[in-house]
Amino acid sequence: MKEITLTIDGKICKGSEGNTILEVARSNDIYIPTLCYLEGLTPIGSCRMCVVEVERNPKMMTACTTPAQEGMVVHTQTEKLRKYRRQMLELIFAGRNHFCMYCSQSGDCELQDMAIAHGMDSVRYPFLYAGFQNDASHKDIQMDHNRCILCLRCIRICAEKTGAHTLDLQKRGWNATIVSDLGRMLGESDTCTSCGACAQVCPTGTITLREFAYRGRRKDCDSVIESVCPLCPVGCRIRVYVRTGSIARVEGISVTGPDGGQLCNKGRWTLPRSSERERICSPMIREGSHYREASWEEAMGLVAKEFGKAHKADSDGALVSSLCTDEELALFASLFRDSLGMERLDTFDGNVLRGFVKGFEPFRKQGIRPFTAAHNILESDCIVNLSADPDEEAPVIASYMRVATLRGKASLLNLSCKKSPFEDLTDIDAVTPSPAENALLIEGLADIAGGSGTDQEKVSTVATKTGVSEDKIYGILDALAKARKPVFVLGGCLSDKPEAITSAVNLAIACRSFFADGIGVIPLVVSSNSLGAINTALAKESWLGKKKLDFLYVYSTGMVPEDEESLSAISGTRFVVVQSPFWAQPLVNLADVLLPAPAWFERGGHYCTIEGERRHLNVVVPPKGEIRGLSSILEDLSANLGVKPGKPEEPPCGNLFICENPPANARMVSLKEVRD
Amino acid sequence: MSKVKVATVWLEACAGCHMSFLDIDEKIVELLEKIDIVYSPIVDGKKIPKATVGVIDGAIGNEEELHLAKEMRKQCDIIVAWGDCAVFGGINCMRNFSDRQSALEEAYVNSPSTVNPGRVIPHEDIPQLLPQAIPVDYEVKVDVYVPGCPPDSETTLWVFQELLEGRIPKVPSEKMRYD
Repeated sequence: MKEITLTIDGKICKGSEGNTILEVARSNDIYIPTLCYLEGLTPIGSCRMCVVEVERNPKMMTACTTPAQEGMVVHTQTEKLRKYRRQMLELIFAGRNHFCMYCSQSGDCELQDMAIAHGMDSVRYPFLYAGFQNDASHKDIQMDHNRCILCLRCIRICAEKTGAHTLDLQKRGWNATIVSDLGRMLGESDTCTSCGACAQVCPTGTITLREFAYRGRRKDCDSVIESVCPLCPVGCRIRVYVRTGSIARVEGISVTGPDGGQLCNKGRWTLPRSSERERICSPMIREGSHYREASWEEAMGLVAKEFGKAHKADSDGALVSSLCTDEELALFASLFRDSLGMERLDTFDGNVLRGFVKGFEPFRKQGIRPFTAAHNILESDCIVNLSADPDEEAPVIASYMRVATLRGKASLLNLSCKKSPFEDLTDIDAVTPSPAENALLIEGLADIAGGSGTDQEKVSTVATKTGVSEDKIYGILDALAKARKPVFVLGGCLSDKPEAITSAVNLAIACRSFFADGIGVIPLVVSSNSLGAINTALAKESWLGKKKLDFLYVYSTGMVPEDEESLSAISGTRFVVVQSPFWAQPLVNLADVLLPAPAWFERGGHYCTIEGERRHLNVVVPPKGEIRGLSSILEDLSANLGVKPGKPEEPPCGNLFICENPPANARMVSLKEVRD
Repeated sequence: MSKVKVATVWLEACAGCHMSFLDIDEKIVELLEKIDIVYSPIVDGKKIPKATVGVIDGAIGNEEELHLAKEMRKQCDIIVAWGDCAVFGGINCMRNFSDRQSALEEAYVNSPSTVNPGRVIPHEDIPQLLPQAIPVDYEVKVDVYVPGCPPDSETTLWVFQELLEGRIPKVPSEKMRYD
């Protein structure tokens, strides 16, 4: 990019061609006030706070939308500008109903800060006192149009980052208001994903989250800690506000990153709400239908005794959550597998992970990383949804898919045994009667796309076998052939059929879906650290439910419900130790011994996310009382068992599916390799 | 040097702004050595006498308040709009979204905590409500604006110190608040 030089407030500033005046000013530490501008969103220049004077230009220009030009001489702080900015603020105050004394965002409001900074001690214009609606119909998000300054940040983040485009603008002039779904109340919207991004970016008290109102202004919080959301494979980075030792709010990080600083509805609500759930505060031992409190000594003694007996009889196992950090999983592996030689260690999502590992194996052998960072969806021009339900499995991925479709004009194909979850955005919806036909469809498409020219005979065979019309198959092949960078989003349920996963990667290779870090496949595994679990705790084969066990150590983070299959296997075990931060039902009811555990906000470590990054989980609030870190508990248990586990190996996620060869060198494989 | 004469008036508002004068704490003693409160809710007086400084707390919501605001302007050299209600109209403006009659009915008849089977709305021998509650400067010229609900005690003291020095203060950003 060509470098340009301009003078802002007498300072020589360098920028790149294409930068706006505001961008150059900010990168040179020159402050220009803004209200509607938010880095990462399309600038619109609606609030007029960023007006600047450019020499030899009679008009005032909005810095956020005016491109910087070589040799420009810009003034940002003249008396005239201050006057105009104050005037703008007065007009904003006069136009709507901004009464700070009964607004939940007072003290946390960009409009208030801006008006005070501009010395607005009165408003010279008559107040309109026009009554606007306060839309309180949504159960978590409140939208009081009386406080809206029409900065349109909410509309832009909803359309550009969440991809829901629930919000837009209606009417004109003073009567213009934000509207959801062409005039529905927000609570009745069927496009709103309840992610709360609109409230996170609202500069005033217009859109607020009931949950966080009056729990502490951002600037009154004692600490703000960055961490990682554990709830889905994306592992969004989060900012947690802590006030007097409790979590006041959770927000996405920054709008500039590919994730747009968004958090999905899961992260936004589940994380802060969990801090109010009932905790397991001390070790408990079952007595009949009740639990009684016990000392750590007594509880660990009992656990070791039962474990020792079962271990001798080869009737022991441990089931841990893949929401654990790499470090925690390594501790489990080190104690149970390495020191005690126990093979029955697995994660709750073991079957899903084994399915993906098996399906990916032929490509791993080639030294190719068979998947890519999730945000690469945003670069794609053709997105293929393979049996995934991203809004359930990983809502931020659903956002990427919608944004790429809405803004990048990518086509969206659904190949699944269920109707497309993106009904209005799907170009071709190829629904098969069952997962078996879906696997055949992917296999058939890979075969045809990998061949030279479209084989009409093969197309009609695939159509007969899968029940998808020939027209649709031709349509899919055509879309994939035209695509420059297709991506394939693989639903967790595909793991039932590893050969379908291999076929999907084959199809991606046939379509030349190559990204710098791997092949254009995005596997929707279960949690933020599912990939890390493959390195550490994942068993080679499924063992749960195969044999009635005498002892099972269960570690749950209590953040996602346990699946039926695991629960029934747990309930069939003679002696169960459950370690969990929360009274997570029904799991805790199955325990003979309950041990407290640190919650997500009390733990530190690393997650290996499908964004391809090793992300750091930080301790947000230090654990209190009897709650101890996992290492000290497992140390206790080892001592009781008379073993000394070695130092757990550091399990970097780089070990997993290393990208040794350029993805473009990948070759398609025969499904025989997987089926055996 | 003779003391500076100060009149204060409490229009449509809670008592917060006047109460917050007391937040100046012990410095109020020093201040009272320099000023003479000639008219105020806390001193006895039927008529507003001539004063140098007139402090108006509260919005203008009825005819009596309108009259008082105009009297203050007539009798005082410098008018200070004190607090959010005087400056912006404040919480009183909540009634501006409905007409006068429905505001009265809401207050005296319809509100859930009211028992008024006769549906009587007080109207005799009391000042007539204006159509809207309005900031003071809608009706009279204001010289000094001090927003805040209430203004900080520091700001209060600073404004008086400035006035006593013979300056017309403009509250700077770091001393200003709206809540």
